[in-house]
Amino acid sequence: MSEADARPSEDREAGIDRQADHAAIARLTDELLPALIAKLGSTRLGELEVREGEWRVRLRRPYGTAPGEGRRSTDRPFRVPAGHESLGHSRSGAEAHRPARGAVAGSAHAADPSGNGSRPHDEPDRSIATSPAVGIFRPGARAASGTRIRAGDSLGTVDVLGVPQDVAAPVDGIVGATLVEAETAVEYGQELVRIEVIGSASASAGGEAR
Amino acid sequence: MFHRILIANRGEIALRILRACRTLGIEAVVAYSEADRNSLPAQLADEAICIGPPDARRSYLSAPALISAAVVTGCDAIHPGYGFLSEDETFAEVVRAHDLAFIGPSPEVLDRFASKEGTRRLLGGLGLATIPGSQGMLRDDQHALDEAARIGYPVLIKPSAGGGGKGMRMVRTSRELESAIRVCRSEAKAAFGDDSLYLEKWLDDNRHVEVQVAVDRFGHGVHLGERDCSVQRRHQKILEEGPTPALEPAAREELAERAVRAVVSAGYENVGTLEFLVDADGNAYFIEINCRIQVEHPVTEMLSGIDMVALQIQIAAGEPLGLGQSDVRLEGHAIEFRINAEDPEHDFRPGAGLIERYHAPGGPNVRMDSHLYPGYEVPPYYDSLLGKLIVWGPDRATAIARGRAALEELVVDGVTTNVEIHRALLENEAFLEGRMTTNMLDRIGSAAFLAAAAR
Repeated sequence: MSEADARPSEDREAGIDRQADHAAIARLTDELLPALIAKLGSTRLGELEVREGEWRVRLRRPYGTAPGEGRRSTDRPFRVPAGHESLGHSRSGAEAHRPARGAVAGSAHAADPSGNGSRPHDEPDRSIATSPAVGIFRPGARAASGTRIRAGDSLGTVDVLGVPQDVAAPVDGIVGATLVEAETAVEYGQELVRIEVIGSASASAGGEAR
Repeated sequence: MFHRILIANRGEIALRILRACRTLGIEAVVAYSEADRNSLPAQLADEAICIGPPDARRSYLSAPALISAAVVTGCDAIHPGYGFLSEDETFAEVVRAHDLAFIGPSPEVLDRFASKEGTRRLLGGLGLATIPGSQGMLRDDQHALDEAARIGYPVLIKPSAGGGGKGMRMVRTSRELESAIRVCRSEAKAAFGDDSLYLEKWLDDNRHVEVQVAVDRFGHGVHLGERDCSVQRRHQKILEEGPTPALEPAAREELAERAVRAVVSAGYENVGTLEFLVDADGNAYFIEINCRIQVEHPVTEMLSGIDMVALQIQIAAGEPLGLGQSDVRLEGHAIEFRINAEDPEHDFRPGAGLIERYHAPGGPNVRMDSHLYPGYEVPPYYDSLLGKLIVWGPDRATAIARGRAALEELVVDGVTTNVEIHRALLENEAFLEGRMTTNMLDRIGSAAFLAAAAR
């Protein structure tokens, strides 16, 4: 497997990277975090996010006002919401890249157990990676059709005001079609990449190898 | 004027803002959480965009999600509605940093009026009487006890941030104060992320009267009369009316003029509401200012014929007010009933569920602002407001009669609502005589109140 072959060289680089990481983490925790916590504490904002170099810090207010967080993702839109004509994509063009939305609207499907916006598809051998946020979709190298991927792999990012958020693969599998063009505006929960699920036996074996 | 506005709110106010946008010829984009995917504002908007999961912290309270939604949909302004981030100066600042307009006061103005205690001192120095209260924030329990003894019991413990009755308690003894202050601190911390508290002298049998103002960027301001919000339970308004039955016309006029003079001098901007407590002798004490559009703004709209949300948008776009005090003519009497998904017979327990049948009352001078429709599922994640029924009449008696007829006609099946409490109010002697005080419902207890009306 290509992934296993790449590991030794990755390990050497990782040692150097790790020292830099520790320094960066120390700086973030000593300087940035207290300032962010104070800022969040003085406002009603639910969430703050700051990027410094390759590091991204997100603070989320801890109080529990949402009893059912993430448990209610069974609703599907009965209309295609955002057309994003402002970004040069026609409404019909945007819809053409999202055929799955209408197709699954009436069918029963499993509720999202993760609450992260990645939900298993109703078809047993297929799954779909969805957008973690509102922003601009940038598919990564692993979003190429035919790529073997593991659950949690990044298939690209959604750029939220300059801060990239990973589009995570919900399952082990092989990338099928990318449903949205690169550099398109996407909404939270929008279906981005279709994944053909590998049989359950090989999927669990893959999990152990990690 | 703006070209496209992102509505960063939900429910009836999102619909209300959408209607104002349509009237002004502005496109409206509704930002919705997954729980509001099938909501009426999301359906009626020019464009709707999902910003996050039901948890408000990751949707309606998430600055990155809201601002990113505004940017990718090509909006040039964000309307925050009420609640959520509507008075958050940091949010207003971040919105501006992304070259978007925040529809409300500027961050500097929000910052100036962010502390209730500071605002009380500021406007107290500009001609508004204030209630005797603590000197600054309460440092610790001993400071609280000393200040309460100086002011004299009963006192009201109030949080510096937020609203809606959270972190607020009235106490009559030092022993009650000691235990209540801990509860208030944790409530305020949880609700607003800020546990600073202060004390106010509690006036028994007070009335809540508020003055609506509008001030443009050029320091030109008018008042739009007052509203009486004395019908409350646990410091939450359930019925509002205007003009207030508590004050004579000359006293109302004088209060409203003093209020607008003070806020213009203090550099306020956009629409705002100054809240006063009025004691049994008709003395009005300033308590706080709300730097946003309020739930009960339709009362003022019915009296003045002025679209308050459109006015708010015009001011935020930098346009001059375009009306002087003599252009504001307030006529007749208006009453607003808040229709909430809560059970008055069970301590106003909030409810959620499927709306099986919905019928909004009609007829002359009857208005229903609601996002309900048959088949709509009320999500359990947000506040319980289902809509507002507003009636107008040339006088209070006609408005009350119209209110009775409209409440009779209103149908909301599927969730328990507080409609019964409104029907009971319109049969209640104290209400009919205009003698409601803010503590009356709590003192009687809503169950006893309903039972008395049923007899």
